[in-house]
Amino acid sequence: MAKYDITVAADNCTGCLRCELACSDAYAKTFSTASARIRVVMTGPDCEISFTDECVECGICADNCLYDTLSKERKEGDR
Amino acid sequence: MSVGGFAGQVLFVDLSKGRTRVEPLDPALAEQYIGGLGLSLKLVKDYIRPGLDALDPDAVVVLGAGPLVGTGLPSTSRVYSICKLPTSGTIGWCGAGGFNFGAMLKYAGFDHVVITGRAEKPVYLEIVDDRVELRGAEDLWGLSVDAAYEVLCQRLGRPAGVMSIGPAGENRVAYSMAFIDRISTLGRGGFGAVMGSKNLKAVAVKGGGGVRVADRKRYRELAAGLMEKIGSWPHLKEAQTAGLIKSFPVISPEDYRRMKKRRAACVSCPIGCKDVIEVPDGEFAGLVKCTSSVINLYTPLLYGIQDYRESIRCMATLDEYGLDAFEFFGIMTFVRTLIEEGIVTPDRSEPEVRLDSLALVEAWVERISRRQGLGDVLAGGFRKIIETFGPDAARFAPALVKGMHPYAGPGSALAWDLFGTMELGQVLDPRGPHVGSGGSPTYFARRPLEAFPGHLQRMGVPEEAIKRILPGEDLKVGALLRYSHAWFTILGSLGACARANINRFYNADLCARLYEAVTGIETDLAALRHRVDRVWTLYRMMNLREGFQRSVEEALPERWFREAGFKDYVTGQALSLAEASGMIEDYYDEWGWDKQTGVPSAEELGRLGLADTA
Repeated sequence: MAKYDITVAADNCTGCLRCELACSDAYAKTFSTASARIRVVMTGPDCEISFTDECVECGICADNCLYDTLSKERKEGDR
Repeated sequence: MSVGGFAGQVLFVDLSKGRTRVEPLDPALAEQYIGGLGLSLKLVKDYIRPGLDALDPDAVVVLGAGPLVGTGLPSTSRVYSICKLPTSGTIGWCGAGGFNFGAMLKYAGFDHVVITGRAEKPVYLEIVDDRVELRGAEDLWGLSVDAAYEVLCQRLGRPAGVMSIGPAGENRVAYSMAFIDRISTLGRGGFGAVMGSKNLKAVAVKGGGGVRVADRKRYRELAAGLMEKIGSWPHLKEAQTAGLIKSFPVISPEDYRRMKKRRAACVSCPIGCKDVIEVPDGEFAGLVKCTSSVINLYTPLLYGIQDYRESIRCMATLDEYGLDAFEFFGIMTFVRTLIEEGIVTPDRSEPEVRLDSLALVEAWVERISRRQGLGDVLAGGFRKIIETFGPDAARFAPALVKGMHPYAGPGSALAWDLFGTMELGQVLDPRGPHVGSGGSPTYFARRPLEAFPGHLQRMGVPEEAIKRILPGEDLKVGALLRYSHAWFTILGSLGACARANINRFYNADLCARLYEAVTGIETDLAALRHRVDRVWTLYRMMNLREGFQRSVEEALPERWFREAGFKDYVTGQALSLAEASGMIEDYYDEWGWDKQTGVPSAEELGRLGLADTA
């Protein structure tokens, strides 16, 4: 599986959580924010985005981001 | 229940006894009433005690999130609360999106919450997966909507979902609302007062589980098609950037950019029509406000506040107290007239009733929310004011529908004068006047009739009905409203948003296929239509059982048809009361109800399996 560097522009995040749901669907076969390997914490004005240790950098979160918050670039040397 | 989409459980909460219990969701009931809005209405029907006052301790409240909520499908985060509403006196729905509440409820394992009773002391309901507790809320009582949200988010840990009321709801103000995640409103009609009457400050929920879909392969195909359609919409970036300002340009793009902190979206929404703004300068510089849309923050400007920064502060105050701004301003305008006419003489200790002064408006928000002085009467809404000050006051009342101030129409905040489904719907939805398009093409003014057939097909209107709705160059608004309500019922029962910028991507046939893929319940468009007819007819029957009558609850305000009144949607000519009454009859007829009384026939009830409601 290809690996990607994920770039985060948290200012663009709306808190829609599509990234978390796509991740949990892919890896836990359920839609669940708790099972996601990306974590979005919105407090209204502020937003923090982080990845758990289980993240495999597959980039599915970036594929499902509609707000230009997450973007991906293939890791150097990755085949 | 093993089908997908549904969490599979209903939580019952008896506030009087301080007890909760969990029951499995009946799969047959889920199929018959779809879920979300539809199934919530059915649960109200099953658990309400007919004839009870809206604020009676035994009054029932049902919360519900549909089977698509939490599945990641676009804009599927809708939550409904259904109960008898104190202002309208009718059983009505309140609906909201919000950040997390609906998804968290599902992830915690519940599709619905059925609440009865009245707690002895203030409480809040805390749901963390299968741990359900009623906890003391003395420390939260008196807090604003926002403050209660923040405290509960910290207690549960983010992400959490919170439904909370402010002081207005606590003090049973007739036009108080509850807020979902302090940004989306469950109102109008006084839902906040219902929670307040139960001593229920909030429901806070955090779910660590998930929602599975029955047919993942089919789900993925359908979801991919839907996302492709959304992604290729040429206005997507514009809608994401401008939100509702795209349709309602109340401020310049430059001013909006100056105050915008970020756009915000309900769970899984690709449009993100909500806003987080910060006042850029002036006395309130630094004030951060999360709002359903920045355009809402400009409402006070329609009534007399001059400075947009004061307008934002004003709306922040109304939201913090948990008041419905439309009703508040309608009532304040009315009371000001009564004072000018000498019908009301406030005590000298009362603040002046003026709508062009932020300080005075905020003073009245507080007096009403805390029921101080004249504020106690005003907190009772238009009906209470008219009852208190008599027929002289009634002469100066604005157009009222079910005791409430219509939000759109002559003399209302939104002075839209074309009579489409949304305007007629203010009278014909049992809940009373509300903002909601039902996805109808008349949501936008002056749309050419050529655009209607395609739109109606998308809404799932049968071909023979399209001919009745569009006979020649005419438009039958009443008949169209029947299908607008049906389309809204589909979206609401699945859990999808009905806003124009979202429902444009859905169609009724797709909804049937999505429902089938997610739940595993065999469903085609014909089956979905049948279930929708059952839901909306049940909604009507419940209200008829409460004494609902066309001549009272569905009376058209005469003021709508006087000089500068409503106009025909197509011709722009002045509309008469008789013509609008004819639309009501068309609406009843299209549902298969008695054309004069709006009572469903025994035959229709039999067809829908509702014979026991007659």
